[in-house]
Amino acid sequence: MFQIYLPIAEISVNLLVMLGLGAAVGFLSGMFGVGGGFLLTPLLMLSGIPPAIAVATGANQIVGTSVSGTLAQWRRGNVDLHMGAVLIAGGVAGALFGVLLLRYLRGLGQSGLIISMTYVFFLGSIGALMLWESVNAMRRQRAGKTVSARKSGQHNWIHGLPFKMRFPRSRLYISAIPPLVIGGMVGLLAAFLGVGGGFIMVPAMIYILRMPTNVVIGTSIFQIIFITAVVTLLHATLNHTLDIVLAFLLIIGGVIGGQFGVRAGQKLRGEQLRAMLALMVLGVALRILYDLVARPADLYSIIPVAGG
Amino acid sequence: MRAAVLHLALLLSLLLGAAAQAQDAVPPPPVVKPGTSQEKVQADISTREIAIQSNFTGVEILIFGSIDFSDTRTPAFGSYDVVTVVRGPNKPIVVRKKTRMAGLWVNGPGKTYTQVPSFYTVLSSRPIRAIASDDVLRSLGIGLSELNFGRDTTGSSQEQSFRTAMIRLMEDKRLFTANDSGVVFIGRSLFRATVVLPVNVPTGRYVVDVYLFRDGELASKTQGSLEISKAGIEAVIYEMAFHKPFLYGLLGVAIAVFAGLIGWFAFRRD
Repeated sequence: MFQIYLPIAEISVNLLVMLGLGAAVGFLSGMFGVGGGFLLTPLLMLSGIPPAIAVATGANQIVGTSVSGTLAQWRRGNVDLHMGAVLIAGGVAGALFGVLLLRYLRGLGQSGLIISMTYVFFLGSIGALMLWESVNAMRRQRAGKTVSARKSGQHNWIHGLPFKMRFPRSRLYISAIPPLVIGGMVGLLAAFLGVGGGFIMVPAMIYILRMPTNVVIGTSIFQIIFITAVVTLLHATLNHTLDIVLAFLLIIGGVIGGQFGVRAGQKLRGEQLRAMLALMVLGVALRILYDLVARPADLYSIIPVAGG
Repeated sequence: MRAAVLHLALLLSLLLGAAAQAQDAVPPPPVVKPGTSQEKVQADISTREIAIQSNFTGVEILIFGSIDFSDTRTPAFGSYDVVTVVRGPNKPIVVRKKTRMAGLWVNGPGKTYTQVPSFYTVLSSRPIRAIASDDVLRSLGIGLSELNFGRDTTGSSQEQSFRTAMIRLMEDKRLFTANDSGVVFIGRSLFRATVVLPVNVPTGRYVVDVYLFRDGELASKTQGSLEISKAGIEAVIYEMAFHKPFLYGLLGVAIAVFAGLIGWFAFRRD
């Protein structure tokens, strides 16, 4: 009952479990404006999906949830198209490079270790920073002061760079270079870690580009559509690791969960949202770190030889 | 339910037409050692083709057969045993062992085994060590300890521990199994063996060997095969993923975008 066979993963999974997994991750995705890949990919692996298939299929699911998430944000005028376009240009180039880098490392046989360490580093440092910032913001607010993550009028080194562009929706007039570089870096990590990269993009937009919080989530989820679409295509073409049946189940759950997530997100204040996201990011980082440090239950592992 | 009916029907046909089965059986002429008596083993498989579809959760197949004593002068003497070996196509795999480096558990260099059966099961009427000597078993390649998996692992204890770990991991996936009461005799000459193919069973052509032992010596052998393949929509998807990968990837993205649009239209509140 409810068991369904996955043609590429070559295992049978429970239909309801996969729908539920998609819905849970979709909910968080809509709420925080992150793709949710950093949760989905490890969760898929825990439910027995081979890692390579979890990465490619996870990326495909994020395309679906990001589309409905973006539309919901779009209606509220929260998507900065100009900024999105610049980020995507950098991101697509970064994603291509990331997939090639991953293939190279896989050849060396250490891709798993490096992926885990990269996860721990990024999730850990970003989670800690966000938590620190949002707790401070909450404390200041409790003390009765006005809170603004964006210190408008304040200039930093970014304003000295050339190729200035106007981003009306974000009320910014800055050089195109920082968003292009940020887009590229996030695209690279996205492909490399098999995630959308929202958990890096959102803080980068807030703290480096100093975009207003309300457009950050919409713009982040908008550019994630394109990054994950490119990652899905690359994995399907180069590695044959996309399982459409699994992706379909996850997408159905994800699309429904995502709509509820967006509404839940509207009810929370920015700093509360950031604190919750920070705790979740830190939790995943600790879990991966634990797996690296703790003695594994089984020291041995077997994998089929590629192409065999 | 359907499987049970099939099962019953097979058993019935087996009981009614044991003699008639002799003509149907696939096997090439059995290998008979000179000087031994002429009992022959004949066997067949309940399902020659297994199609993996979306509702596939594993399947049981029945191997049934009989021992033909017609040319034997003294069938009453001697002890007979049947051993059945089912093996899937060989595939290369890499075994790695994690070691601790600077506080982290890191994969060490892998050992490659080039000839690992993707599925291997030994069913017998008694423990195989009690049926025949190690030499006989080795010469026939019966039993996991007799397989070399395309890698010389004799001598070194490190090689031995990798090999043991690989077998254990395959057993955990239910791809390597053994059942020393898996062959059941019905009377003197009829026997049956049930093979459990788990949900993760690899596709390909499987070889089924049925050995008849008389007092620890091989008396007769027969071979059959079965084909496990994906069918229906599963086959179409698999085919596309490997032969038109770019189109397949586009399809995946298109489905996702479409589902996202539908989800938004269905849930929007304005």
